[in-house]
Amino acid sequence: MKKLLLAAIVMSLLSCDHGLEPPPSVQPGFGGTIYFEKGTWPASDSLVNLWLFASQLYPLDSAKIFTGLFSNPPAIYLYPATDKNLPLFVDSVSFAFNVPPGTYKYVGVLQHSANDINASSLRVVGLYGTNDSPPLPIPIIVSDFNFVSGVNIRVNFRKPPPSPF
Amino acid sequence: MRKLSIHIVLILAWSTATLGQTIYGTLEGTVKDSETSQPVVGANVTLRSSFIGAASDSGGRFRITRIPAGTYSLVVSMLGYQRTTVEGVRVVRGQVGSIEISMRPVPLQSDPVIITANKREQSLQEVPVSVATVTARMIADRNNVTLDDALRYVPGVNVLSDQVNIRGSSGYSRGVGSRVLVLLDGLPYITGDTGEINWESIPMFEVDRLEVVKGAGSALYGSSALGGVINVITKESPSTPELRFRAFSGLYDKPRYSEWDWSPKPRFNSGLVMSYAGKSGALSYLVSAGRTVDESYRENDTYHRWSLFAKVKYDLSSTQSLTISSNYIDRSHGNYFWWKSLAEATRPPESQLNGVVNSHRGNISLAYKEFISDKLFFTAKAIYFGNFWRDDSSGRVNNVSASHLFSFDVQATYDLNSSNVLTFGVAGNYDKVEANLFGSHPGVGAAAYAQDEASLSTEVKLTAGVRFDWQKVSVLASTAQLNPKLGVVYMPDSETSVRASFGSGFRYPAIGELYIESNTNVSAVAVLPNADLKPETSISYEVGINRSFGQRVSIDLALYNNDFRNLIEPIVEIKQYHPYPSSPIEVEGPVIQFENVTKARIQGLETVLRVEWWKRFFSTDIGYTYTWPLDLADHTILKFRPRHLLYGSGMFTWNHLRASADARYLSRIERIDDNLVRLAPIVNGDQRVAIKIVDVRASYDLIGLGLPARVGLNINNLLNYSYVELLGNLGPVRTYYLTIEGMF
Repeated sequence: MKKLLLAAIVMSLLSCDHGLEPPPSVQPGFGGTIYFEKGTWPASDSLVNLWLFASQLYPLDSAKIFTGLFSNPPAIYLYPATDKNLPLFVDSVSFAFNVPPGTYKYVGVLQHSANDINASSLRVVGLYGTNDSPPLPIPIIVSDFNFVSGVNIRVNFRKPPPSPF
Repeated sequence: MRKLSIHIVLILAWSTATLGQTIYGTLEGTVKDSETSQPVVGANVTLRSSFIGAASDSGGRFRITRIPAGTYSLVVSMLGYQRTTVEGVRVVRGQVGSIEISMRPVPLQSDPVIITANKREQSLQEVPVSVATVTARMIADRNNVTLDDALRYVPGVNVLSDQVNIRGSSGYSRGVGSRVLVLLDGLPYITGDTGEINWESIPMFEVDRLEVVKGAGSALYGSSALGGVINVITKESPSTPELRFRAFSGLYDKPRYSEWDWSPKPRFNSGLVMSYAGKSGALSYLVSAGRTVDESYRENDTYHRWSLFAKVKYDLSSTQSLTISSNYIDRSHGNYFWWKSLAEATRPPESQLNGVVNSHRGNISLAYKEFISDKLFFTAKAIYFGNFWRDDSSGRVNNVSASHLFSFDVQATYDLNSSNVLTFGVAGNYDKVEANLFGSHPGVGAAAYAQDEASLSTEVKLTAGVRFDWQKVSVLASTAQLNPKLGVVYMPDSETSVRASFGSGFRYPAIGELYIESNTNVSAVAVLPNADLKPETSISYEVGINRSFGQRVSIDLALYNNDFRNLIEPIVEIKQYHPYPSSPIEVEGPVIQFENVTKARIQGLETVLRVEWWKRFFSTDIGYTYTWPLDLADHTILKFRPRHLLYGSGMFTWNHLRASADARYLSRIERIDDNLVRLAPIVNGDQRVAIKIVDVRASYDLIGLGLPARVGLNINNLLNYSYVELLGNLGPVRTYYLTIEGMF
């Protein structure tokens, strides 16, 4: 009996449990879900574009937006793409946003409401931030081989967070 | 009365040789193992109620000189052997007496003599609290280079990198504000700036034993003793000159996964320490020096350390002694805070890559002891502990700190009558901190304490005590604390001891917690001061039973309850703050600030089972601790506390061969600080598993070949298990050590 017990302990110790292991190789980025508050969607003509954005710059002003978007490499990234939109008039949408490793200080949902792109036609309608009122942005750190999950954002088109620009 | 089962052979053969006209006599002899007739090395042989004594050398020989003529009781003690007293030993003026002593081995060590629980020597069975001991032999076998390593095998204790946690008392604050008080030969050894334990500066090669008292102990020791007290007791000098050394060379194995294998070269961890000790007349001395270089298994985690230790004792008379000891270390250590990510778990982020911390730490202490009479024993101790460190990054000095801590303790122990032993004294401290992180602040404190140990009958002993502490830090208002203790021990027979105790503890906020202000280069989080911190307090209750079953089996079982109030915890959150004190504007961002936030209740049970399976050849120890650490503020489990601790060890001895193994299991920490992980940020900082570590070792005594040396091979983390103790800090990989120690 004692020998059996000893053998069980040794087998347990030598089992396949080796503790922590490196995560499988993944594309860096972050992912989560955007929840749209029901009944707050604006008219379709004011939804020229709707993007998820990730900015390494914060705070932003109108000049930094365009510098960040069009610099090489950019400091502000758009999801799904510059010429593509998030789905419209849905309750929620899941996303997996692959971005280069870096610190993204300001992450949220951006509404583009006119054909021209300028500061007055852009507004932030959702923010990955704290539960404070008003919410504060939470930085997301993306490193090599690291995909940050659980980035959930609530959008209420009628109660957007404070505009940074 | 406990029956002395030791077999003593006493031969007194008084020499006719005279030693001139001296008023003294001399006593010499040998101490041997009663079963093997092998010499017992390092046994303490002393005359009762005096400082006259000696330690046996490698041949078991001792020689006690300068003994005033008279008749004495000779006390012989050695861990692992039954303590005994030889009555009626006559010392004749000018003559040399000879005595041969046989000591009976007690493998279980179920009843060692300890001094920390009540500030005086007494049997473990007689103290009303849980106490664990770690011997010099265990430290040497495990090749423990620093104190924290030696504590990782003590039941109920777990170490979170820089922070020791006794029965769930401590969370995670990178060592700042320790809730366990470390004493060096009975004097506080906590840094003056951050109130933390400086593990590396304890002279482990010169440690005789460690005593770990579990539960609040502020009624005797004051601030910081919320969770327990660890007393580091250094060695006494032998009566004959002795040169000792220990050398080790360790090789880190490759990490289990190639992604973590960052170094193209093998990484080593090596060290050498030497000491010379002896006695000349009334003067005994011990000096040692050591060098350690650890290349580490992680990038930018290398350290280089020089250490020096000296201890000089002068017997002013047969009843008076003065001891001066000093310790100094110089260390340079890479500033590794946490990993880059789990994918690169052995590399730090780029911001930490060039960081290094240079530190100089040292202490000097004095201890005067006197047997004023057979009933009154007096001690006066004082220590200065200086800490100087700076951290540099890419050649730029970031933070500099200098702290000076002076403390003293004057104590008397008085045998009031056959039933009462009084212990009373006064203590005080003065701190001075100068640091760019903390500012320049003084601190001063004073205390008085008293306790009575009353023998109500031969079976029942009662201990009652109280301590008053007063403290003032910088310009803050002074605070005072009153801490009582009460304990009872019931010993219905020689093999059973039932105990119950109540004690209270407190900790003043460290100067670092009150005044720290920093925008560090390793984290996105600013650290803010909080001068409104109040002392944190605790109340401990414990009941326990210790029972031996013959000479082969002993078991100890304890149930405990610790209530904490005003726990000081680092809070990580986003808030508005002034980026520097004179800043006219506030900014928003993540900050860390120490706050009194939590009241908690930690309950649990602990059991230790020791079995000698095969007489003198094979024995095992198993310790299990269950902790239920509840945060009463939000009714969740406290952060950073494992719920289950299971430690096991086995030792096999045969002739000159000794082999042993240790296994540690700590359940997965259920709750961590998610804000710290997210905002610091520590990438993948939430990744953690249960800890399962197996260490094995074997050593062989070359004395059989005529060499006074022992060689050994240690393999730590035999299974190369990958784990974290601390957020984002991969634990050591499998490491092979070759050790050799000798004594001439």
